[in-house]
Amino acid sequence: MTPAHFAFSSAFMLGLAGLAFHRTHFISALLCLEGLMLSLFIALSLWTLQFDSMNSASMPMILLAFSACEAGTGLALLVATTRTHSTNRLKNLNLLQC
Amino acid sequence: MAPPIYSALIISLGLGTTMTFASTHWYLAWMGIEINTLAIIPLMSQNHIPRATEASTKYFFAQATASATLLFASISNAFLTGEWDILQTPNTLTSSLITLALAMKIGLAPLHSWMPEVMQGLSLLNGLILSTWQKLAPLYLIYQIQPTNSNIFIILGLLSIIVGGWGGFNQVQLRKILAYSSIAHLGWMILIISFSPPLALLTILIYLLMTFSLFSSFMLTRATHINSLATTWAKIPILTMSTPLILLSLGGLPPLTGFMPKWLILQELTKQDLAPIATLAALSSLFSLYFYLRLSYAMTLTMPPNNPAGTLPWRLNQQHNTTLMALTTTSTICLLPVTPAITALLPL
Repeated sequence: MTPAHFAFSSAFMLGLAGLAFHRTHFISALLCLEGLMLSLFIALSLWTLQFDSMNSASMPMILLAFSACEAGTGLALLVATTRTHSTNRLKNLNLLQC
Repeated sequence: MAPPIYSALIISLGLGTTMTFASTHWYLAWMGIEINTLAIIPLMSQNHIPRATEASTKYFFAQATASATLLFASISNAFLTGEWDILQTPNTLTSSLITLALAMKIGLAPLHSWMPEVMQGLSLLNGLILSTWQKLAPLYLIYQIQPTNSNIFIILGLLSIIVGGWGGFNQVQLRKILAYSSIAHLGWMILIISFSPPLALLTILIYLLMTFSLFSSFMLTRATHINSLATTWAKIPILTMSTPLILLSLGGLPPLTGFMPKWLILQELTKQDLAPIATLAALSSLFSLYFYLRLSYAMTLTMPPNNPAGTLPWRLNQQHNTTLMALTTTSTICLLPVTPAITALLPL
């Protein structure tokens, strides 16, 4: 495992742990999701730089576009949740329990 | 929702799955899956009621995490082997991570916790799209990984069959029952996918038929609770004949169609010297059969002169479009004698 591979893998794992163990706020989960996407962006940019292949040079930009769409969707859901559930605390999302 | 927006979202749903089907590069497959997720979120939350918003939020988090993990595993695979081709994914740690990410996408145990709650918050039509169309792209990717190490698939499959059966025991909400039934059926598919991928394809197709028929029956009477099923005899009497047969077909009883995939899967597992696993899978599907029988009982054995479980509704004149539902219901009940033809046609 090259140092670059280790770097973005550990960044991804940290973000994934943050997403899995978020406790209080909706927005911290969205931030961890953005962190995941950022680590993947760095990974794809490193691919192009390390292997000198211009074939996949557009991959980071497309990832950025999709990540922005996802962030927009997440924020729209945050606004919708705040309108219907009156807060962005995650403990309030308890309507659908058994 | 305004028709241009609605049609754009439906076309995007189709586009996403088509892109994943048409791709040989992991990046394009990931893009198709992302488009699918993004397109269905507005469809789920179009009426801004709290349950729909909460279901969309939970769905979004589960799917976004799974997509990011899928892309991370593909990039790691590319760094380790230099290959982006889906068919060339060798059997390393990354292919297991890809499998786990795709398992979270479709709701296999132990990554299934989002599924019942999300299904509960959606309308029946959105639940149908979630159960059928959204499963196609990730299942296709799992099919293409062509695994040689079957351990992870056996564990995922058995756990899903057990959880899908056990979890549905205490449910009275129909959409949660359908979610657990979906988990159980996906478990059967994943169990056999490393031994005989065409059999997994057969299971997927028959599951799609059965689930479409059941959802259509529930949509006709707008039933969301077991008590709502009890007044079906007053609204559409023929459903009290066909829906229990669909439910028993989902449970896998001969002579209905649902027996076909289970029979062929158990036969294949026995040929691979995995008879204890086949026994465990068959016994665990009895859990699911129990709650399907409970639904059939509520529909058929609570008519007068027995005590009815609900009050009688007004009979309003409604137009029902049942063309496709009639076709899928007939297929769900009558296709078992075609098994030799299917066995000959599929490269089993």
